[in-house]
Amino acid sequence: MKKKKKISQSFQKWLSVVIMIAFLVTTVCLWVIQTKLSENNAIKLLALNISDVREDIIDASDENLLKLTHEIAEELNQTNEVTSEFLEQLTAKYDVTEINRINPDGIIDASTYPDFLDYDMRSGAQSSEFLVLLSGDKEYVQSYQPVSYDDSISRKYGGVVLNNGGFVQVGYGSERFQKDIDEFVVGVTRNRHVGEGGSVIIVNEAWNIVSDRQGNEGKNLETVGVWIDRDKTPAGEVFIETVYGEPCYCMYQISEGYLVLAVMPTGEAALSRNVSVGVTTAMQILVFAALFALIFFLVRRLVVDNIYKVNESLSAISEGRLDTTVNVRSHEEFNALSDDINATVNTLKRYISEAEARIDAELAFAKAIQHSALPSVFPPYPNRKEFDIWAGMYTAKEVGGDFYDFYFVDEDTLAFLVADVSGKGIPAAMFMMTAKTFIKSFAESGMSVEEVLSHANEKLCEGNDANMFVTAWMGLLNTKTGVVSYANAGHNPPLVKHGDETFTYLKSRPGFVLAGMEGVRYRKNEIQLLPGDSIYLYTDGVTEATNIDNELYGEERLLHVMNQKANLSSQELCEAVKADVDAFVGEAPQFDDITMLCLNYFSPDEKGEKNKKVKELTVKATVENIDEITDFINEQLESMNCPMKVQMQIDVAVDEIFGNICHYAYPLREGEATVFVEMQEETQAVVMTFMDSGIPYNPLEKEEPDTTLSAEEREIGGLGIFIVKKTMDEISYRYENGKNILTVKKYMK
Amino acid sequence: MTIEKNRNNEELIIAPKGRLDTVTAPSLEEELKASFDGVQKLVLDFKALEYISSAGLRVLLMAQKTMNKQGVMVIRNVNETIAEVFEITGFADMLTIE
Repeated sequence: MKKKKKISQSFQKWLSVVIMIAFLVTTVCLWVIQTKLSENNAIKLLALNISDVREDIIDASDENLLKLTHEIAEELNQTNEVTSEFLEQLTAKYDVTEINRINPDGIIDASTYPDFLDYDMRSGAQSSEFLVLLSGDKEYVQSYQPVSYDDSISRKYGGVVLNNGGFVQVGYGSERFQKDIDEFVVGVTRNRHVGEGGSVIIVNEAWNIVSDRQGNEGKNLETVGVWIDRDKTPAGEVFIETVYGEPCYCMYQISEGYLVLAVMPTGEAALSRNVSVGVTTAMQILVFAALFALIFFLVRRLVVDNIYKVNESLSAISEGRLDTTVNVRSHEEFNALSDDINATVNTLKRYISEAEARIDAELAFAKAIQHSALPSVFPPYPNRKEFDIWAGMYTAKEVGGDFYDFYFVDEDTLAFLVADVSGKGIPAAMFMMTAKTFIKSFAESGMSVEEVLSHANEKLCEGNDANMFVTAWMGLLNTKTGVVSYANAGHNPPLVKHGDETFTYLKSRPGFVLAGMEGVRYRKNEIQLLPGDSIYLYTDGVTEATNIDNELYGEERLLHVMNQKANLSSQELCEAVKADVDAFVGEAPQFDDITMLCLNYFSPDEKGEKNKKVKELTVKATVENIDEITDFINEQLESMNCPMKVQMQIDVAVDEIFGNICHYAYPLREGEATVFVEMQEETQAVVMTFMDSGIPYNPLEKEEPDTTLSAEEREIGGLGIFIVKKTMDEISYRYENGKNILTVKKYMK
Repeated sequence: MTIEKNRNNEELIIAPKGRLDTVTAPSLEEELKASFDGVQKLVLDFKALEYISSAGLRVLLMAQKTMNKQGVMVIRNVNETIAEVFEITGFADMLTIE
């Protein structure tokens, strides 16, 4: 499976993408704004320098012209007669272009230009400015500009009041005053810096450089790389041109016939921008990195860490530790999540415990069914004196697959076996029932023991999808001869005792397990039992019982206890073994079923010699014979000094049981009933077995009466068997070979 | 089983002797049915009764039902075995035992 990304990784990724975009956008905006700003700064700087230089030039040229005009006015003041010739002499003397004398009426009355005579100064905008001299001002100077009478000509005029009224106006062309002030202009511009690397270049009307910082005076402006088309590039506008081999912002203004050009390298403007953008970017990187770290760690702390905590609890729960609770209470959301998970787990726990309870109940029921399928009434054949058989199965907590079985397959042949199904639980129990049924049906059909196992094997192999198997040891005892023919399907060998000898293992080559493989043939072996011989079958639950130190009970211990108790009855022997196993196991839990079966062989010939404790009486099943049966039983009871009270209880029980047989077993009222009475001296008990061949009927299944009802509501049915159940110590029923067999046991003390 | 019977006006005393079981219960039932007329108090004296089985209980139930309609029924001198049967079957609560 592809490994999924962590939340923190995704978060990290998207957070860095967003922050990167924000960073780029702000940087680009900043770049654009700073570029614009630096350009504006450059423009302002250029304009400022130009205007500074311009003012300086104007001041210098004004001063120069006024000085000349004052000298000329002084000349005129000392002359009585002002003639055009005199004025011409003065123009030559002072090297000016034009001298006009204006009378107090504002009319030119003398001029170096005859055409100007009688010109009224009020008639031109430029010339009328000089009228201030007639209203009090002593001097006036005009900037270099086109003249009123011909705007193709530019002149600079100055005026000074004359002593005897009127004023003199002196004008000259740019080349005249420039000659005077060029040096000053050079001084103004030579050391002027525009910003760091910018400068001011002054050019005259012939496009020759008057002053620049590189010493190009007298050369055409093109020398420095600038070409200005004044129509396309008006004064005061910024343009970019390569000056001194470097791209520069340029701007010019015209002043007093000069062109004042200020240049500033674009690189310098860009530098301030670059520095500004660089510093800001560095700050941004710091801020965004801090932001990133802050958000990342906050998310990590508030979300991711808590999710990990929740996950830890959840994985504990998944591993089955359902008592784990989720307790992340830092925030409302995690609080709610924790509560929800805990509630879910609690619900789950409840369902599981309900399901467990149901399964337990069903398992207990299954166990009960399993047990009821095994013969459980002992002695099972009170009328057979040739042998004594007892078997027991002590199941572990789970239902298991052990079983024992025994039954007569004909008058003189007792089949007995012990088996163990692989596995545990319901499947093993079901397989055990199947195996038991097959074996019994083949055995009852009269087959020899190896045929029984072979046929059962074939049947069990069919559809054994679960691959279960059974080990079994089965014997057929001929009660007349004492010969046991047996076959072993992979089971533990039984223990055999001959006479007063010790128990030894009955070794034989075992065949393959049942249900393991089709076509397996089993081998028949035989052993001769003589009166006093015993055979003990068991499952590995006995030898593999384990104590808390993990030691196995083992075959040695089994042999030891068996030989100690060798002369007990079959039941006592089995119980002694079980007690020994229990003592060994101690507190350790029982893992496997413990199953055992013991058969003591007495004698075929000396019937009743060794076991004459069982008496029997067969009578016709009619009410009239109750007394005979009762007397017969009482006779036996008296032989053991039975207490009167117990005898009364037994008499009531006999009345109930025999009465039932008389009333219900034979609809035609023709049939017999047999009662066996066995006095068990060692346990001080009496075992009575009632047998009839009537309608199959298990009185133990009858519903128990409600003993709390009043006389009016009482039903009388079922009371009899109820009294028997309550007063006797053990009661059991089975239907075998067409016979109802009811056995009751009562201890006399 | 033998039945001793003693009638004193409305009071009838019945004393069965021996066993009250499947065999003998019908005869007690017959005897009682024949004597119920006019009886307001029925006394069953069990001093000589050895034991009682469910067939006997059936008769007692019948007698109790009848006497519920016309008077009272009392049982006396119950031995241990019989008391146990009454206890087991819930008859002890239903009958009046002195």
